[in-house]
Amino acid sequence: MKRSLLWGIALLLAVLGGWQVASAAWIHTKAAAAQTLIAWSWGEAHDGGISRRPWPGADTRPIARLIVPSQGIELYVLADASARALAFGPAHVSGTARPGSWGNVVIVGHRDTHFAFLRDISPDAEILLESSKAAPARYRVREITVVDKSETRMMDPADAAELTLITCYPFDAIAPGTPLRYVVIAERVA
Amino acid sequence: MDGKGGRGITYGQVGDFIDLACRAFMGGVAAALLFAMAALVLTISSAQAATVSLNDPKTGALLFRTGAAGQYELAPKVETDVAIQVSGLIARTRVTQLFHNPGGEYVEGIYVFPLPEKAAVDQLKMQIGERVIEGVIQEKEEARKTYEKAKTEGRKAALVEQQRPNLFTNSVAHIGPNEMVRISIEYQQTLAYESGEYRLRFPLAVTPRYLPKSSDPAKEGMPDEPKAIEAVFIQHPQYMPVCDDTVNPVDIAVIIDAGVPLGRVESSYHDTVIEKRSGGSVMVSLVKDQEEADRDFELVWSVVPGSAPQAALFTENVAGAEYALLMVTPPQPAASEKALLDRFARETVLIVDTSGSMAGVSIEQAKSALLYALGTFSANDRFNVVEFNSIMRPLFADALPATAENLKAATQWVKALRATGGTEMAPALTFALNGRDTPGYLRQVIFMTDGGVSNEDELFRLIAQRLGSTRLFTIGIGSAPNSHFMTKAAQFGRGTFTYIGDVREVESKMAGLFAKIEAPVLKDVQLRWSDGSPVETFPARVPDLYLGEPIVVSAALDRSASRTIVVSAMRGNQPWSVALTPSADSSASGVGALWARAKIATLMDALRTDGNAPDIRAQVVKVALEHHLVSAYTSLVAVDVTPTHVDGKLRKALVKANLPKGTQVGQIPQTGTSAALQLLVGLLAIGAAALFASAARASRQARA
Repeated sequence: MKRSLLWGIALLLAVLGGWQVASAAWIHTKAAAAQTLIAWSWGEAHDGGISRRPWPGADTRPIARLIVPSQGIELYVLADASARALAFGPAHVSGTARPGSWGNVVIVGHRDTHFAFLRDISPDAEILLESSKAAPARYRVREITVVDKSETRMMDPADAAELTLITCYPFDAIAPGTPLRYVVIAERVA
Repeated sequence: MDGKGGRGITYGQVGDFIDLACRAFMGGVAAALLFAMAALVLTISSAQAATVSLNDPKTGALLFRTGAAGQYELAPKVETDVAIQVSGLIARTRVTQLFHNPGGEYVEGIYVFPLPEKAAVDQLKMQIGERVIEGVIQEKEEARKTYEKAKTEGRKAALVEQQRPNLFTNSVAHIGPNEMVRISIEYQQTLAYESGEYRLRFPLAVTPRYLPKSSDPAKEGMPDEPKAIEAVFIQHPQYMPVCDDTVNPVDIAVIIDAGVPLGRVESSYHDTVIEKRSGGSVMVSLVKDQEEADRDFELVWSVVPGSAPQAALFTENVAGAEYALLMVTPPQPAASEKALLDRFARETVLIVDTSGSMAGVSIEQAKSALLYALGTFSANDRFNVVEFNSIMRPLFADALPATAENLKAATQWVKALRATGGTEMAPALTFALNGRDTPGYLRQVIFMTDGGVSNEDELFRLIAQRLGSTRLFTIGIGSAPNSHFMTKAAQFGRGTFTYIGDVREVESKMAGLFAKIEAPVLKDVQLRWSDGSPVETFPARVPDLYLGEPIVVSAALDRSASRTIVVSAMRGNQPWSVALTPSADSSASGVGALWARAKIATLMDALRTDGNAPDIRAQVVKVALEHHLVSAYTSLVAVDVTPTHVDGKLRKALVKANLPKGTQVGQIPQTGTSAALQLLVGLLAIGAAALFASAARASRQARA
C-alpha cells in the first residue's frame, strides 16, 4: 500500500520532470529548427520576390537577415515582436522604422536562444541588416547599456539611422520575466 | 540506520519500528523536497533580488560612485534656473544652465536634458563674465564643425543639439579652472488645456542607468562623439548621473499672465510659493531646499468660471509672413441641451484583434475591456462585435438593439474568443466602416488591437475613405502595442487612442473613454477662410471635440485677401460657427515658432510613414532655419570671439543627465524563455522521483 504510493509519487515526479526537461529542450529545438525553415522561405522570397510563410499555419514571416560577421551569427528577423514570433527568431518591433529604412530599427530576441550572442558582442562590432528590398545596411555598435523595461524611449523614433537590438538581462537569470533589458545601439555606417 | 532488527525486540515491535522508520524516511524525503523547492525559490528570488537592488535608484547611484572619488570633482556642476512666462495659451521658457568647473583643468561640459515633446527651441545665449554671445542656427553637421573648430582654436563655444524629439544635449567647450559659464536656451510651447484647467509640465525626472557587468570600467579614452553619452557612462562610471539633487540644483519660477482672473493655482508634486502680483498675474516659485529629483514639475491652474475665452486668435509677424495660433472652446451645453445629448442613442461596433500575437495576457485584457463596454449599453443603443485574425467574424450580421437577450449572447460569444492565426485588419475595418449612417444614432467604432501590422498606409487610406460620419477609437492592448499605428489610425478616424497596459487598468481606462465619447460637443470641425477656401492647419485634421476640449491649431496667414478664419462644425444637430479676425492687440510672440514646430512635427511624421528622406530633410531644414529652431537637422551654436585657452588640451566631462522616463506607452517586450527554469524544475523533479523510488525500494526490502 505505502510502497505503491511511494512508487506512484516517484512515477508522477519522473513524468513531471521528464515533461519539464522535454519542454525546455523543445524551446531550444523550436528556436533552431524555425531558423532553418525560415532560411528556406527567405531564399525563395529573395529569388522569387514573394515572402512565403515559412511553414503551413505560421503567423509570421521573415523580413530581414541579421548578420554579425565577428561572431559568425546569421539570424532571420521576423515581423511583429509577439511572444509567439520570438520563439522562432528575433523579431522586429512594429511601429519602429522598418529594416532598410531610415530611423531607429528595433529588433528584440530571447536572451537564452537567438540573442544569447549579444552578451559577448564587442563595443565596436559590425552588424549587417539585409532586407528583401534594399541593399544590406551596415551598422557599427555605438553603445551597450542596460535599462529598465519601462524605458521605452530606447524604441523611440530617432533622427539618425540606428539599429537597436534588445534582449532581457541578466543573461543567466533562471526565471523569465526579469525587469532589466540589455540594449545594443548601432549606428549606420554604410 | 540504526538496527531495525535490534535484539530483544518482538516481531510486532519490529513492524511498528519499520512503520516509524518509513514515516521518518518519508519525512526526510518530504524535507528534502521542501529543501529542494526552497533552494529553487531562493535561486530564483536571488536572481531577482540582485536586479531589484540595481533597480533602486539610490543603491544604483551609490554603486557607481565608489572607487572614483578623486576624479569626481572634475565633473562640472550645473545649476539650472528655469523661468517660465505664461501668456494666454503660450508658455515661453528660459532654461539657464550655470556650468561651474571646480577642478584645476579646462574641461568640456556635456549636459543631457529632456524638454517637453512639442518644445520649439529657438534661442541660445552664452554668457562669460559680462559678455553675451548669441547663438546662430546652422545645419547640424555645419554647427558641429563650427563648434569643433572653435574647440581646437581654444575658444569657448556652446552647442545645442536635438538627439530625440524630446531629448537635447548642451555641450560647452573650455570651461576654465574654477570658472562659471552661463548658457541659456529658450523655447515655446502651447499649454495643455482641458475641462477648464491649464497644465504646464517641466521634465525633471532622473532615470537611473545601469551598466552591464561585462563592461570594463578601467578602459581609457573618451569617445569623440558627444552623442555617445551612454558610452561615456560605460567607460567612466564616475560620471554616471548621481541621483542626488544637491549636486545640480534646479530652481523654477513661473509667471502666469492669463489675461483673465485666475482661479485655483496648484503645483502637483512640489511645495511652492504663490504670490499675486499687480495686473492680475501670479508668480509661482519653488520652496527652497527640497528634494525634487524624482518627479516632473507640474503646475495646474484654472481661470474664474465664465471668464474662460471661448475663442482666441493670436498672431505674429515673422520675416514678412504672418502666423496664427487659434483656440476655440466649444460652449458648454445648457441644461436642456445636456438632456438632449444624454438621450443621444449610440450605435457601437467593437472590433477585437484575436490574432496569434494577442495570445496570453493581451486577449484577456481585450476580453475584459469588451465585457466592460457591453455593460455600458442601454436598451435604446445598438451594438455589434467583430473579431478578426486570418478571417473576419462578426457576432451579428448587422448592429442589433442592446436588449438583455442580445447582450447575453454577446457576453457568451466574447468569453469564448481565442487568439490564433494571422492579422487581417482590412476586412474587419471595411465591415465596421460600412459608409452607412444609421439615422438618429451616433456611430462609433472601437478598435482593440496590439497593432502588429505591416500594411499601415493601406489601412490609413481605408479608414480615411470609408469613415463617413462614423468615428474610430483605438485601444492599444498588450505590453508594447504599436502606438504609432494606433495614434495615426485614431487621427484618421477622428477619434482618440487609449492605451491599456495592465488588466487592472481596464476598468478605469474604459470608464474614462466611455464617459468622454458619450456625446461629442462639436463634430465635423472645419477651418476655412472667409472666402471659403480651406486653411492649411497643423495638425492637419481637427478631431471631434468632447466636453471640455478646445481646438488648438497653428496656421499661416500669408494671404492678404482674406484674414478671417471661419470655424464651422455641427453642434448636436445644429450647424455652429465662429469667425475670427486678428485684431491689433492679438499679436503674441512665439506664434511663428509654434507654427514652425508643428509643421516640422508633421514632416517628421511623414518621414516615418513614407520616408523620402532627402526631400523631407530639405523642407525641415528650410523651416527650421527660417524660424531659428533646433530640429533633427539643425542645431544652435555660439562661439566666443577671443580664444581663452590657447594650449587647447581639453578634458571632456559629463554632467548629470536628467533623462526622461519612458514617454511612449508600454514597455520593452519580454525576451527570456522559461527553458532554464523548466530544465531546473524538471531535473529537481527527476531527482525527487529517484528519492521516492529508493524510498519505495527501501520499504519493500524492509517488508521482505
